[in-house]
Amino acid sequence: MPAPCIFNRRCLALCRHKCKNTTLSMVTAEEALRADKVDAYAPRREFMAKGIKAVIALFGLGLGIPLAIFSISPARKKHKTGEWIPVAELSALNDHRPTKITYAYLRKDGWMQVETRRMAFIIKNAAGGLTVLSNRCTHLGCGVDWDATANQFKCPCHGGIFDLSGKVLEGPPPKALLNFQAKVEDGKVFIMEAQA
Amino acid sequence: MSKLRLFIDKRLNLSPLLKEMAERRIPDHANPLKTPKAFIYCFGGISFLIILLQLLTGMFLMLYYVPSPDHAYASVTYIRNEVSLGALTQSLHRVGAGAAVLMVFLHMLRVYFSKSYANPRELNWIAGVLLLLIVLGFGFTGYLLPWDQKAYWATTVGVNIIETVPLIGPDIADILRGGSEVGALTLTRFFVIHVMFLPVLLLCLLAAHFFMVRRQGISRPL
Repeated sequence: MPAPCIFNRRCLALCRHKCKNTTLSMVTAEEALRADKVDAYAPRREFMAKGIKAVIALFGLGLGIPLAIFSISPARKKHKTGEWIPVAELSALNDHRPTKITYAYLRKDGWMQVETRRMAFIIKNAAGGLTVLSNRCTHLGCGVDWDATANQFKCPCHGGIFDLSGKVLEGPPPKALLNFQAKVEDGKVFIMEAQA
Repeated sequence: MSKLRLFIDKRLNLSPLLKEMAERRIPDHANPLKTPKAFIYCFGGISFLIILLQLLTGMFLMLYYVPSPDHAYASVTYIRNEVSLGALTQSLHRVGAGAAVLMVFLHMLRVYFSKSYANPRELNWIAGVLLLLIVLGFGFTGYLLPWDQKAYWATTVGVNIIETVPLIGPDIADILRGGSEVGALTLTRFFVIHVMFLPVLLLCLLAAHFFMVRRQGISRPL
């Protein structure tokens, strides 16, 4: 009783044992070649070609997936926010116009700790509350500045204009200026880079 | 897939080329399926696979590595400790370097003991020896890049060995170091040699090496 053919029907003359589905049973590859009747090696060649492709795919994926994870790694790390940063004395804030403040914090930049400098505007409300607006234009990230004569925030890059509360008045910006959280402790103003 | 293949083939007629490349008869004495001890004929191909691995992992490591005394060590530490699968990628590159030297050397031993270097294959033997030297050059220049104590002192000693070459030794050593001490210039030099000069040389010589193997075929058995 011969062993079952591992190539199933595709083996044709290749297998030297009886195979149910072949018309060339008992004919060896060499004999078939000699008789020049069929390309007796074709099925084997096809099988080997597929095998080689499978091995290449295995190696490709085995290397490709880890290397892809390796290269997108920094993008998957979330930027950490949520620290109260002291920015100004409450008494130093302007009464009827925004006060431009500069603040800095340490940020992890790859293998380095770097000081990141940012700007924001603090606006005293009539009720005594504070509104903190980021100076980053929501269009493409340029720094907006306060135009005292027009009473508006203006972006120098593409003409975006915002009002005192940060709402878009004109130009391409898609949404209002970011509104940061603020608190006052012992006469000192703290802000946090998170939406109020 | 076959549609794309047809599209390209109609324009470039690549099939005969591919067929020529794929359907190469391996003589029985070099075919491990027919002669088990012929596995020694695989060392060259394995060397090539390892070189491919080195090219690939090296390319990706360059995403993070910085060749400056201020950042080299920190960036390697960052790769190993904070980048996802960074330790794996860096280790693959480091272990692969050793494996490449080993396999190239074994390949050379096979060629030597099967007398494959003999007429008419002398030119390919010369290309092979140059390739071995290039692989060693990769190892030497790459070893400095992590910029730790081991790297620093290995390079100091290595370049001092070169310095002992009569007449031209001291000049070569100074050129390699970019001065009289291993420092910032040495690091940038070794980095650029490692990632630009040597890879270009390696790929050109590999092309010549493979072309000659194909042109001349595998040597007869002893």
